[in-house]
Amino acid sequence: MQYNFIMLKSQIMKKNFKLYKSIAAILLMLIGFTGCKKYLDINNDPNRPTEPTINGILAATTQNTGLNVFRAANVSNYYVQYFASPNANSPTDIYDRVDFSTTWRLLYDNMADIYDLEQLAIKTGSTAHLGMAKVMMAINLSLTTNMWGNVPFSEALSGKNLSPKYDNAQELHTRCLTLLDEGIVELRKNPTITVTANADFLHAGNRTYWIRTAFSMKARLLNQLSKTPGYSATNVLAAVDSAYTAAAQEAKVSVFTLRNPWATLARNNAALVLDAWLSTNIIQSMNGVRYGYVDPRISRFTDTTRYGDYRGTRNGAGRVGTGTSRDECYLTTNGYYSADAAPLFVITLEEVKFIEAEAALRANNASRAYTAYIAGITAHMNKLGISSGNRDTYLALPAIGVGQGNLTLPIIFREKYIVMFLSPEAWVDARRFNYSYTGFQLPLSALLAQPIRRLDYPSTEQSLNSGNVQQVAALTDRLWWDL
Amino acid sequence: MRKFKLLKLLLSLLLIPLCMQAQTRKVTGKISDEKGEPVSFATVTVKGTQKAVVSDVNGIFSIELTGNQKTLVISSAGFEDVTVDVSSTSEVNVTLKAGTALGEVVVTAFGVRQQKKSLGFAATEINNKQLMESKQPNLVNAIQGRVAGVQINSTGGGPGQGANIVIRGPKSALGNNQPLFVIDGVIVDNSTVTEGGNANLRGMSNRIADINPDDIESMSILRGGAATALYGFRGSNGVIVITTKSAKAGKMRVSYNATYGVEEVNKFPDVQTTYTQGYRSNNQIYYSSTDFFPSWGPTVAAAKALDPTHPDKIYHHYARAYQQGNQFRNTLNVSGGNEKALVNTSFSYFTHNGVLPNTNYSNWNARVNAVLKLSDKLQFNPSFNYINSGGLRYNADRFNESLSYWSPRWDVKDYKTADGAHKTYGNNNPIFGAYYNTFKDNVDRMLSNLALTYSPANWLDISYRLGLDFTSDNRRATAPGQIARPGVVNFGDNPLGFVGEYRILNKVLNSNLLVTGKFNFGEKLTLNARAGHDVVDINYNFQQTQGSELDIIGLTTLNNARVITQNSRRTQLRTMGIFADATLGYDNFLYLTLTGRNDYASSVASGNSSFFYPSVSLAYVFSQHFKMPDWISYGKLRGSFARIGIAPVEPYLTNTYYNSAFGQPVNGVNGWTRDDVKGSENLKPEFTDNREVGLEMQFLNNRVGFDVSFYQINSKDVINRVLVPTSTGFTSYVLNSGEIENKGIELAVNGTPIRNNNFTWEVNANFTANRNKVVRLAEGLNEIVIASQFGYLSSGATQKWVVGQPAGGLYGVAYTRYYGSQTDDRVTLRRDLPLLIASTGNLAGFPIRDATNQRLLGNSLPRFMYGVSNSFTYKQFNLSFLFDMRAGVQRFNQLGNFMSAFGIAKYTEDRNDFRVFNGVIAGGAANTQRVWLGMEVGPDGRDYDDGFYRNIHRGVTENFVEDAGWVRLRNLSLSYTLPAKVLAKTKYIKGASFTVTGNNLWLSTPFTGFDPENSSNPSGSNADGFAGFSYPGVRSYFVGINVNF
Repeated sequence: MQYNFIMLKSQIMKKNFKLYKSIAAILLMLIGFTGCKKYLDINNDPNRPTEPTINGILAATTQNTGLNVFRAANVSNYYVQYFASPNANSPTDIYDRVDFSTTWRLLYDNMADIYDLEQLAIKTGSTAHLGMAKVMMAINLSLTTNMWGNVPFSEALSGKNLSPKYDNAQELHTRCLTLLDEGIVELRKNPTITVTANADFLHAGNRTYWIRTAFSMKARLLNQLSKTPGYSATNVLAAVDSAYTAAAQEAKVSVFTLRNPWATLARNNAALVLDAWLSTNIIQSMNGVRYGYVDPRISRFTDTTRYGDYRGTRNGAGRVGTGTSRDECYLTTNGYYSADAAPLFVITLEEVKFIEAEAALRANNASRAYTAYIAGITAHMNKLGISSGNRDTYLALPAIGVGQGNLTLPIIFREKYIVMFLSPEAWVDARRFNYSYTGFQLPLSALLAQPIRRLDYPSTEQSLNSGNVQQVAALTDRLWWDL
Repeated sequence: MRKFKLLKLLLSLLLIPLCMQAQTRKVTGKISDEKGEPVSFATVTVKGTQKAVVSDVNGIFSIELTGNQKTLVISSAGFEDVTVDVSSTSEVNVTLKAGTALGEVVVTAFGVRQQKKSLGFAATEINNKQLMESKQPNLVNAIQGRVAGVQINSTGGGPGQGANIVIRGPKSALGNNQPLFVIDGVIVDNSTVTEGGNANLRGMSNRIADINPDDIESMSILRGGAATALYGFRGSNGVIVITTKSAKAGKMRVSYNATYGVEEVNKFPDVQTTYTQGYRSNNQIYYSSTDFFPSWGPTVAAAKALDPTHPDKIYHHYARAYQQGNQFRNTLNVSGGNEKALVNTSFSYFTHNGVLPNTNYSNWNARVNAVLKLSDKLQFNPSFNYINSGGLRYNADRFNESLSYWSPRWDVKDYKTADGAHKTYGNNNPIFGAYYNTFKDNVDRMLSNLALTYSPANWLDISYRLGLDFTSDNRRATAPGQIARPGVVNFGDNPLGFVGEYRILNKVLNSNLLVTGKFNFGEKLTLNARAGHDVVDINYNFQQTQGSELDIIGLTTLNNARVITQNSRRTQLRTMGIFADATLGYDNFLYLTLTGRNDYASSVASGNSSFFYPSVSLAYVFSQHFKMPDWISYGKLRGSFARIGIAPVEPYLTNTYYNSAFGQPVNGVNGWTRDDVKGSENLKPEFTDNREVGLEMQFLNNRVGFDVSFYQINSKDVINRVLVPTSTGFTSYVLNSGEIENKGIELAVNGTPIRNNNFTWEVNANFTANRNKVVRLAEGLNEIVIASQFGYLSSGATQKWVVGQPAGGLYGVAYTRYYGSQTDDRVTLRRDLPLLIASTGNLAGFPIRDATNQRLLGNSLPRFMYGVSNSFTYKQFNLSFLFDMRAGVQRFNQLGNFMSAFGIAKYTEDRNDFRVFNGVIAGGAANTQRVWLGMEVGPDGRDYDDGFYRNIHRGVTENFVEDAGWVRLRNLSLSYTLPAKVLAKTKYIKGASFTVTGNNLWLSTPFTGFDPENSSNPSGSNADGFAGFSYPGVRSYFVGINVNF
């Protein structure tokens, strides 16, 4: 056999030299290919960056901070009875355990982007972006914890932990305040990297306004403690002192991918996708039925029905007509808040004024309280474009212009309920006020004997973070500040 | 470099032919089969050498012998080898006997025809006749029930709907677990693209559905790892090697096939017929013809008394909403040529209208392939296949969901007004949706393939294949705006109208070089060695433009949309492999095969992109080694071990990216937002370890036999997109997440109880038992959620991986059991224990929902599968039928959950009865409390509120994770072939046959929904545990004709 081998090789060398050469070429090609590492080095997605531009992520987070206010309000509007479903027994209306996984996800999605903005700002040393990130984190986190109480934060957002633990809601509240303080410090520094004005949907790069927003948020958060022993009216008023003084300073989104999201609901409704129907409670608070006087602002919230008047829908009861015959009131694109180009407010001057009124009253400073109370209503009237005559007529009503000696917390809460229209903070107020609004009714076929106080955790947390998520015994369970 | 040593060794072996030259003489001969027909392309080898020639079209060969060479071995695919002594003659006539187990040839990796006896792994071949018997338009469905170890589920009865195929259980989580499809040596795309317009719920086609089953000569199903190791990681789920029909030398042949079929839904859920529309309010049950609740009202009689327009009987709205479907296929095949050039062409048209209104599919197919012998040593095989396919696909999930809300008091078929507005009493009309919320795909596909084979010496072949599989898929989703006039209730799915245009281009380029050498070392030792190289380059390009809020309500074009958003994506994936294998044969009874492959993949982390894996297999044909008793005709033992490395087939998983936040610039700014998927910077390939032993035996002259395999497959470092809570800032992480194991037994039995001149009875049976479990999960993971589906009162079902439990585990809410002194592990469902019945509270007397635990309620992966086919041939008639059985499998029936919640199910007819629930109260005493099942205040004066079904029954997943096992008559086919003497008179017609076929003629299953074979998820999805709102299965009847000219 040995002999054969040798002989064969020589044969091939002679007879099949071409063949030998081609095999060698193939062999070379094989080895050559393996050296071609570049050929395989194509696993970087050509469609997307691994690091965003700092202003690009600022654009996303400022836009979504506005939208998250809308998303949270689109839940709480039913609880504070600004809205009522056009369908009977709508689960949200009647306090069923509704799965708000999407709302939760969108809040956390935006907080994740804010987290990245913060990290990018630290990495690039941009103080302005860092300050904005911290303020926005406080806004989004406070929205979240005021709906659900204990929520993940310290182990959340970074992606380092597969199942983030739940942080205590009171600690998160404190954390929000700290974030605002830290944000203010950064925003006061001279910026190192320019904020593209068009990328800042809230303040167009105006740091002074950002600082005012931070103080306004601080005032709101400190005021939320009204039922707790930690409440200090002095602290609230101190924050108010540096908060908004003019409507121009307000944090609001005015440019959208399409249009104001309330306008989308209004347009859907007009095209028969029924949505954004107003509750009997808000309508009766303004149309004269409950208090005997008509609030001129109602004409800026909604349109009249085919009867020429304003009618609400009872929560839980559903609509009376077909849904197409203008039997009841809903948001329309004629409304101030629901016009196509209407701004979407994060926090407003009138809210700050009402916070001031409440804190001053609690601090027994009736004069400051009354001034702020009138200023709050006035600011709101002016914003909605109510004529000065109508505004002043309203302010002169005995029930409104009560005089500083007669101003009470129920009056403040009653009037604040109007100025907070479509704000998720209205639900915090309602809970602080124990829903003691005159004429406030439980929804028809309510599943709870008392008004709702919190949300159940979303199904995504229950199934994917089951080791940490907490059981909510009843939706009447109160959050830590809601004593 | 260790890997290359093996390669070099093999290559150098290729350079060592063994032959000797001396004096020559010539032997000629003719080879024919048992009927006397010439056998072309039979190989004639001089025994003990590499010297070989091939017979021509007339079966004639001529070979030169040297010295004392005196024995020829004649072999041809499908025939037994014959050895002829030519020491004393120069002319021989050889008759080949049709293949038996010993001579059986199977197409294996890279289209190589290998003798089955030499294989150390399990392989099964299906021929054209078996494929065509079922008349299934989707090739994958055509193998249903025919092969052990192969689980096929049509995801539904929709036109063009995808089918799922899993061999030996799921092995990966990220990948689709579908086997690799190889047509004529080239990898083809079998993905199910679910992008655009909720396509994931629309039963999209798996791309193999494009292929006309009638173009296929045979399919080899290679199951074991050792069989597929050479294909690299794409072969880790098994390989289906398809050989298409090719021309035969001689006269031109023309064959025409036509099939027409009608179909209907094979199984509807049982509905109650007593109660009509309405609900409860103010302590009573009310009737309202506009109420949301379809069936919680009073009895039909009571409603009719209130409302004279109420029909006498309520509709079976499920049966009412579906219609009869039909399909029609035409195939024309023309082939011909001579020894130098053979050309085969086929054209086919297929059209299918589904049972769900306004769903359809059509497929045009044109194909040409050729064998060109450029010289004695060079052969060229080009082939080209153009396909146009697609149709209207409706979202069956949405259709059935809407249908469940629809009140059977109203005729669902009355769905629109004269001006095309939505017609309803209040709820969405699903049939309106099917006509006015449409989605259409239009696929143009070109499969081209060039193969060049160079055989410089008779022991050496060098072949190169270049395949290009190009798909262009244009999808379009449209809905008109609403006709907003008083009295019209909007159709909720079509807000203000929309248009979505989706363009998908997918290009799969496949280059493949293979060098094969055959050597004999003396009389007994043979070596077949191969070495090769392949490259796969996949380019995927997706573009979508979506418009919403139409200006003119009926004009569904992007030009008419007020809002436009767009998204585009290009991805590329490259893999390369070098591989070699060697089969050492000893004396025709012992075969040892070694393979090694090194893959290079772009989709894993750069440090891990090169990975090597080997396999070894051994086949021992003991019936050749020892003299066996006469009744044993064949016996073989085989065993193999194979490791396969798997890189993800999805690129860009190694980084975390940012997406456009708004889909368009806003305010002149591009927003960026973090992607929901967290990439893995250290992504490693998965490895699958396959162990297999098998025994093949044939008895009584091959009249009876069996083939049994035992296998165990461990998949390690399985890559998964692990769902995480959104509070992490992501929705999922890409992780090497754990290990799963599949093990099982496959048994195939064949028999021919009767075989004589006029009558033959053949039986084939197969049996599979597969068990799988999750062996371990990566650190930090307690479970991996594969998918979940909604159920009322948190009674949704979740398919997830939990250590120690099956990979198809379905979890959800169970009834609370009474444990007494036993401990509850909080996972196992203890059906053996009595139900705990509440003795206090407002639900006293009722069983209790155990809402705090997620228990294992079922397993979506069948424990047992059986298939039994019988074929009777009597003269010109053939009758075949196939029974298909599945057992030990469960599915979540979401439809059932809704039918409970809305009072539609037949069993809810007992809603006005009293019942004492079987079970015990706390403490263990038997429950004796009598309760009423209805709503509001019962005859006993107690307030039952929402009643048993809505308070409890609908909220218990256990009620809806149902036994999805079945026994079905999958296929029954009767055919008649015209006798040759009748045809002889026509001159032109060479053969003709007529066929009558029925599919799914009979189905027996405890499942209460539609056919449990269906799935809510698309083909290729691992989420196979959900069969509620699926496109229903169908029973179909076909007539067919086949004529050959």
